[in-house]
Amino acid sequence: MKKELNVNHLTRVEGHGAVDIVIENSRLSEIRLRFAEGPRFFEVITKDRLYTEIPKIVSRICGICYVSHRLAAVFAIEDAFRVKVNRGIELLRSLLTVGEFLESHSLHIYFLALPDYMGYPSTLAMVKDYPNVVKRGFKLKEVGNRIMKLIGGKTVHGENILVGGFASIPSREELEEVGRSLLKLIPEIESTLFFLDGLEYPEFESSHEMEMCLNSPSPSLFSSEVSLSDGTNFTKREYELFVREEVSPYSTAKVSKVKGKPFLIGPLARVNRLELHPKVLELTKRLKHSFPSKNSHLANLARAVELLDVAYRGVEFVEELLSLYPFEPTVEVNPREGTGFGVKEAPRGTLYHKYTFDSKGRCIGANIITPTAQLQSVIEDDLRALVETSLDSEDSEIKKRAEVLIRAYDP
Amino acid sequence: MVKIGVIGLTGCSGCQCEILNCQDALLKLLSKVEISLFPLAKDDNLEDELDLLFVEGSVSTSLDRDWLLRLRERTKVLVAVGSCACYGGVQAQRNDEVQIEEMVKEVYGSWKLPFEVFKPSPVSEFVKVDYFLPGCPLDKKQFVYTVSFLLNGVKPFFPKIPVCHECKLSENECLLLKGIPCQGPVTYAGCGAPCTSKGVGCQGCRGDCDFPNHEEIISILTKKGLSYEDALKFLKVFRGNTFRVRRVDEKGA
Repeated sequence: MKKELNVNHLTRVEGHGAVDIVIENSRLSEIRLRFAEGPRFFEVITKDRLYTEIPKIVSRICGICYVSHRLAAVFAIEDAFRVKVNRGIELLRSLLTVGEFLESHSLHIYFLALPDYMGYPSTLAMVKDYPNVVKRGFKLKEVGNRIMKLIGGKTVHGENILVGGFASIPSREELEEVGRSLLKLIPEIESTLFFLDGLEYPEFESSHEMEMCLNSPSPSLFSSEVSLSDGTNFTKREYELFVREEVSPYSTAKVSKVKGKPFLIGPLARVNRLELHPKVLELTKRLKHSFPSKNSHLANLARAVELLDVAYRGVEFVEELLSLYPFEPTVEVNPREGTGFGVKEAPRGTLYHKYTFDSKGRCIGANIITPTAQLQSVIEDDLRALVETSLDSEDSEIKKRAEVLIRAYDP
Repeated sequence: MVKIGVIGLTGCSGCQCEILNCQDALLKLLSKVEISLFPLAKDDNLEDELDLLFVEGSVSTSLDRDWLLRLRERTKVLVAVGSCACYGGVQAQRNDEVQIEEMVKEVYGSWKLPFEVFKPSPVSEFVKVDYFLPGCPLDKKQFVYTVSFLLNGVKPFFPKIPVCHECKLSENECLLLKGIPCQGPVTYAGCGAPCTSKGVGCQGCRGDCDFPNHEEIISILTKKGLSYEDALKFLKVFRGNTFRVRRVDEKGA
C-alpha cells in the first residue's frame, strides 16, 4: 500500500515551501522538501550594474535578513577593491547586525515558532490569553527595528549601508539611547530565554555529521574564515571548494553539501560551539536544556541564547563607538578589476557573496549562496528520521510534526 | 466582520514584515477585522471570500499566477503592496535586456524547473488592482491608512508628489546639488524621504511621481558623472517593466 502525505503550503515560514512524504507498505520511501519560491536570478540581475547598485539589489533577497545580505555584498566589494574601513564603521556594522538579530530572532521565536508550542494557530490568536508574552515579542522586535532604522535609514532595506561605510552616522545622543534601550531589554531577553527553556520540545536526534559557522560564531562579530565541526577551517576565498551546490529536480533552491554531506548551519550550529559572551555562557549553565545539542528543535532556544549574546555585545559596541566619536563615516573607494568575497552569519546561517568587477567597477559575475539552499539537505534528512519514528501516528499528526520541525529551522 | 488577507508572491517578504511591524495598529485592527489569510503569520488560513487582500511580490511563476487569479475571484478589494507587486520589483529590471530562458540557464544550468517560470511582472498584468502602495518595502503608515480609510468607506488617496517635496519639508540640503545621484525629482513620495535625510540619494523604490521628467533627470545625472547607460540603469532598478524614458510634456503615467 502506498500513500502520499503532502503539506502544500508551509505556513509561518518566510517564503514558499512544501513537503511530500511517500509511505509504501508502512515504510518511508521518499521525502521531498520543495521550495517553490519564484526564482529572482540575482546572479543575473546584478550583472552589468555598477558596484554602488549591488548591495541595494541583493539586500532584496530577504526582507528579514537584508542587513546580512547587504553587508556580505559590501564585504565582497570592499575585498575586490581592497578597501579597509575604520573601526567606527566596523562597529556600526556590528551594531546593525545586533538590530537585525533582535528583529529576526524575535520574529521567529514569537511569531513563527511559539504558536506551535503554545497550541495556537498564530501569535495574534494568543493575544487574548497571553497579552504580555505577545507584547514582549513586539518590544524585542521594536528595539531591533529602531536600531536598523537609526543606522540604515529604514527598518527594512536601509539604504544607508554603503560600500566604504555610511553616508551619515548617528549622533552621540542617539547612540547613547541605543545603549540604554539594549540594557533595558536584557531582562526581557532573559525572561524569553527561561520561558523558552521551560517549553517541552519533542525528543529528537538529528543525524547530521557536520556543523558549520564562521570561526567567530557570535553573529555580530565578523570573520573571513569558516569552521567545520570536524576541525577543518577554510577562508572565504575557498568556499566554493567546500560548499558544493547542485540543482534539485523538485526545488528552486539549490542543494548544498560539504565534503559530500548535508550540514547544519544557523543558530544551533553557532551556539553548539559555546563561544558565547561570558555573561551569556554563565547563564546557559542554569538552563534545563543544554548545548551542544543534536535536537534540531532546540534551534529555537539557541535563538534566545543569541538574542542575549547580541544584546550584551551591542552594549559594548556602543561604549566603544562613543569612545571613538566622532569618526569618519566613509572611507575612499576606488574601483578596480578583480574578484571579491564576503561571508557573514545571517540569522539562519552562514551566507556567501562573490562578485567580479571590470576596471570601472561594473559587475561581470556573481555567486550567492543563501542559508535556505544550504539547509535543504539536512532538513530532508531530519524529516526522514522524524517520519521513520512516527509511522504509526495519524497522518495529520505526522504532517504537524514535520511542520514544527521545519519551522525550527526557519528555512 | 471584515475579512482581510495578506499574501506574498515572488519577493522577499519585506512588505509582509512591515505589515507585522504595525504592531499596535494590528492589535487595534483585530477588534474590527478578521485576518483570515496570512500564511506568513498563521496556520488556519481560509480562502473562501475576502473583503480586502494585500498582495506582495511579483508574478513570476505559474503558481503565483494561479493563486492570484483564484484569490481575485473571491476578493472585493485588491491592493498591490510594494514595488514588486506594483512594478515587478528589482527582479524585473533586466526584463528588456535578457530573455527568461537565458536567466534560468545561467543560474540553474538548464531550462528545466519544477514549474513554469516567466518574466517577473506586476500583479496588474494579470488581475484588476484597486489600489497601489509602492515602495521597497511599502510604507507601513500607508498600510494602516489604507485599511482604516476603507473600513470607514473612504477611498484611499496618496497624491503622487515627488520625494523632493517631502525632502524639503525635512529641511535637507539638496543632494543633487551636492553631486550625489538622487531620484527625488521623479519619484513618488509618501515615504517621508528617509534615505535623503541620511544623506543617501533617493533610489526610486516607489516608482514614478506624476509627470516625471526622466529626460531631465538623466541629463542631470550624467552631468554629475554617471554615463548615460548607468543613469538609465539607476532609474530602472525598481521601476522594472514600467520604465521607459518619458519627458514632462508626455503627460501622466
